[in-house]
Amino acid sequence: MLTWSLGFLILMVKLGAVLLFLLLAAAYLVWLERKFLARLQVRYGPNRAGKYGLLQPIADMIKMLTKEDTIPEGADRVIFLLAPAVVTVTALLMFAVIPFGGDLSFLGKRIPMVIADLNIGLLFVFALSSLGVYGIALGGWASNSKYSLLGGIRGAAQMISYELSLGLSLVPVVMLAGSFSLVDIVRAQEAYPFILVQPLAFVIFVISAMAESKRIPFDLPEAENELGAGYHTEYSGIRFGLFFLGEYVNMQVLGALVAVLFLGGWSGPFLSGPAWFCIKILVVALVMIWIRGTLPRLRYDQLMALGWKVLIPLALVNIVVTGAVILI
Amino acid sequence: MSEYVPVLIMLVLAAATAVGMLVATSKIGPRKVFADKMEPFECGESPIVSPKLRFSVKFYLVALFFVVFDMEAVFVYPWAVLFRDLGMFGFVEMMIFLAILAVGLLYVWRRGALEWD
Amino acid sequence: MTLYTCLFYVLAVAIVTTTGIAITQRNLVHAVIYLVFSFFGSALLFYLLGAPLLAALEVIVYAGAIMVLFLFIIMMVKMESIEERMPPLGQWLPAVLCGILYLALGAVVVYTAPGSEFPLQTAMATPVELGKYLFQRHWLSIEIVSLLLLVAIIGALHLGKRKETGGTEEP
Repeated sequence: MLTWSLGFLILMVKLGAVLLFLLLAAAYLVWLERKFLARLQVRYGPNRAGKYGLLQPIADMIKMLTKEDTIPEGADRVIFLLAPAVVTVTALLMFAVIPFGGDLSFLGKRIPMVIADLNIGLLFVFALSSLGVYGIALGGWASNSKYSLLGGIRGAAQMISYELSLGLSLVPVVMLAGSFSLVDIVRAQEAYPFILVQPLAFVIFVISAMAESKRIPFDLPEAENELGAGYHTEYSGIRFGLFFLGEYVNMQVLGALVAVLFLGGWSGPFLSGPAWFCIKILVVALVMIWIRGTLPRLRYDQLMALGWKVLIPLALVNIVVTGAVILI
Repeated sequence: MSEYVPVLIMLVLAAATAVGMLVATSKIGPRKVFADKMEPFECGESPIVSPKLRFSVKFYLVALFFVVFDMEAVFVYPWAVLFRDLGMFGFVEMMIFLAILAVGLLYVWRRGALEWD
Repeated sequence: MTLYTCLFYVLAVAIVTTTGIAITQRNLVHAVIYLVFSFFGSALLFYLLGAPLLAALEVIVYAGAIMVLFLFIIMMVKMESIEERMPPLGQWLPAVLCGILYLALGAVVVYTAPGSEFPLQTAMATPVELGKYLFQRHWLSIEIVSLLLLVAIIGALHLGKRKETGGTEEP
């Protein structure tokens, strides 16, 4: 009984810490993005709330919570209410299978630094990311606005197209590690990180991941100069905030996945596991922001052509080549 | 099986966070309803046509191709895990599988269904 | 009753209820959402029977792909244009006949199959075991599946191409 309740306590502490970290980090990722982007464009970025604008995320949070939350006429109320929550919850839940450090010992008990080490870990991530499509498509549909609907449909078509290349690009990684469990995949990289043997898979994965998270240069679902704000045009207050939160949690999850699958996860010299893990996520996030500051938006035909004619065939070829090299 | 219990708890906590925020904003925020504000966004105009537009059949085709290739991926995942155990037999088996579907992709490509013009 | 039996019956009731609502729902998007919940229930059932891999694949394929296709089609047709009347006899009669046939076959299988008196034992099927079973014992089915998918691609292409001549607006 004692060990059971101790285990439960440890689990709750881990869950609380992870959720709190994800939410806080999402808020400060927004700050980091605005600041870094501003510097890239020779501006200052937020600098009024607190020193270096560090209180900006908190101010934004208060503002979004105290705004009126309007429901447009003719909207499907229930779906309109729940769609943003779908985006946030699926993004948060993906973190359940991501290991953020090696095992820790505490009171003679071995504590794995992962919420749940599932033997289908990677498929769990794919399943959740395929469910994230509903938040976008339904949010756009329920708003009863043509910009929202267009954004929702575009978003859904884009996400499903890139989900394929995302999934297929990871097949060689699974072949090398021989497991879906993300902990096993990190363990398999003890000698060398997979980015060295699978550079092509890495590139395909990062491009698909950026398209999945609908960031510039893939932000067609919310292209502000043609669609208002795309699928969240009609959203106000914290519902808009939840879409935003989902997007930035997603960015962290993708950074974490890049770290786990290609950069050796938590392993690294001198520093502790979670510290290395955070550094790797931060580097990936900074590169994503950098790309946003550099590239213009793609056209829709270019977007679809990149997904279907370049990334998916390349991912398939990569599977074949990897298989042949391992076997021969 | 018990390794899935933490996932369930996390689902409950994450859902509670999201729903809590939604409830909080409806309690805190002001509420002033008038007809013009509730209209869907239309760059300042009143909406003239129904938002239920007709869409290009391309979107529908993309979704169909996605379903087919997702099925393909579903067969590739379990193969990838035990790729080493299956050896040459499994490799050849999967290569034939992929080749048949590559023919499908090429066919669709040649027929111009992937062009977005 | 053990915990597993309880969970099984709760899930079974949930699946049947959500499917029932999905069929009778007038609002097509709501119907799709109920069907997604129904597939979730089936996925949990697979998990309960000890096959988490199948559960994940069920969510990926059914909830994540096929339902998205349904949603696309529903979002693309004009909702106002759906008339509220019974479909013609030629459409629902075959459906009813197929339904009756399916029910009868199901009943025959359930009552005559050996071992139907005993509930299935829960057995853990890890991804590796399931993959071995699939790729070593049923290699021919895998190839047939790929041919089937090829046919599906070509069929989808031709259906879509035919529709395109009917005049569509670019979004």
